[in-house]
Amino acid sequence: MSPLGLLVVGAPRNAAAEVEVLLSLLPARLNVPVALVLHRGPYDSLAGPLGRRCLLPVVEPDDKDELVAGHVYLAPAGYHLMVDRDSIALSREPSEHGQRPAINPLFESAADAYGPSAAGLLFSGHEDGWAGLSVLRERGGRAAVVGEGEAGEGGERVSLNEVKAWLARLSYGSRMKVQP
Amino acid sequence: MSALTRGAELEVLELELLVEGVRRQYGFDLRNHSRPLLLRRLRRHLREERLDTFSSLQGKVLHDPEAMEGLLRALACPPEPLFADPAFFQAFRTRVVPMLRTYPSIRVWHAGCGSGEETYALAILLMEEGLWSRCRLYASDASEGLLADARTGVLPLPGEVDARNYQEAGGRRALTDYYTRDGNWAVLQPALREGIFFTQHNLATDGSFNEFQVVLCRDTLLAFNMALARRAHERLYESLTRFGFLCLGRKESVSRTPYATAYEEMQGTGRVFRRLS
Repeated sequence: MSPLGLLVVGAPRNAAAEVEVLLSLLPARLNVPVALVLHRGPYDSLAGPLGRRCLLPVVEPDDKDELVAGHVYLAPAGYHLMVDRDSIALSREPSEHGQRPAINPLFESAADAYGPSAAGLLFSGHEDGWAGLSVLRERGGRAAVVGEGEAGEGGERVSLNEVKAWLARLSYGSRMKVQP
Repeated sequence: MSALTRGAELEVLELELLVEGVRRQYGFDLRNHSRPLLLRRLRRHLREERLDTFSSLQGKVLHDPEAMEGLLRALACPPEPLFADPAFFQAFRTRVVPMLRTYPSIRVWHAGCGSGEETYALAILLMEEGLWSRCRLYASDASEGLLADARTGVLPLPGEVDARNYQEAGGRRALTDYYTRDGNWAVLQPALREGIFFTQHNLATDGSFNEFQVVLCRDTLLAFNMALARRAHERLYESLTRFGFLCLGRKESVSRTPYATAYEEMQGTGRVFRRLS
């Protein structure tokens, strides 16, 4: 199992409160970058309120910003957030599933750039994100879904309480002997 | 490694062969384009063309120049409505225009104008501010096809959102004053169309062609990787007069270019930079 290189998170607008909880659960010494798409309106400055309980810095990055471990990169209003190897790539392409930022572009780019060392966490409740999550799994990345979803789709189900344990397992995954 | 991961590796190989083929056959170099964006646009193009692999696209493109033109269009920045970013125009009007008023003549370059929506929006703004007669507005793009669209001055008919954006951008009249309706299309005023010089220029390869007081290059460099974006920033820098204005996209910056200290970001403008040295 390859070591974790990047965590990508996607969530629809109505999961904003849960995303805030998730951010508060991230360990202060997380050794990978986190890229986050939350469906949002056309206005800036969501990083502040969303990250107030998070131990890590939450930023709305500029294009081509470097991906630094222990930072949370929130997709800015009006742009799709994607990742290249070690850097941010923004795009002004049309909305997907009515959303810009959308989740699929982030998950697909993570699968391309990080392959098996990418992990994706999708908050269910919207049709956006499932296609990207499935590409991520095809490329050997690990995937989990928070909340309801169709059976057999998307990968492991976790509740918000279990996310911390899921993350810990990913981070130490390379040392595990047995895979389910 | 799993079979699917091998599939991913094969796709990377096919992409590299396609890029190399396009470069050798047509001289269009995609090697330094933003990889995630390139993949995304190519995959969408594949779906639209009902092709399965980059190899099959390569075969088509190499044998058919029309397929190449289609590919270039697919890779171009998709058109946005007029005044798509009202906050920028609002800031330009209140912060940049007063300083432009002190200039006897103003050369403006819109680099990467695409099909021209933002160029026309800027022209409307300059007209409203009484600067149009003092301005020479040059708009350039790498794609001849998009420039041809831009030159027509015909746009999809603006809707309510566009009218609202125009007001938010500080518009002084009604947006409908600037075009005549033709079915579902808007034909822009001749005074706007005739005052803009649309010209072919590739930011990736071509040099600087004049000195300008204002350079607009918004969200165009998103398509390039870091190395190419740096080179393009060289062109932009060389093309600006001292104290000239560089207008970038809301999420673009000069901080990771060699010109980080050569510009000052103007407070409260989003991303308008002034060349200092």
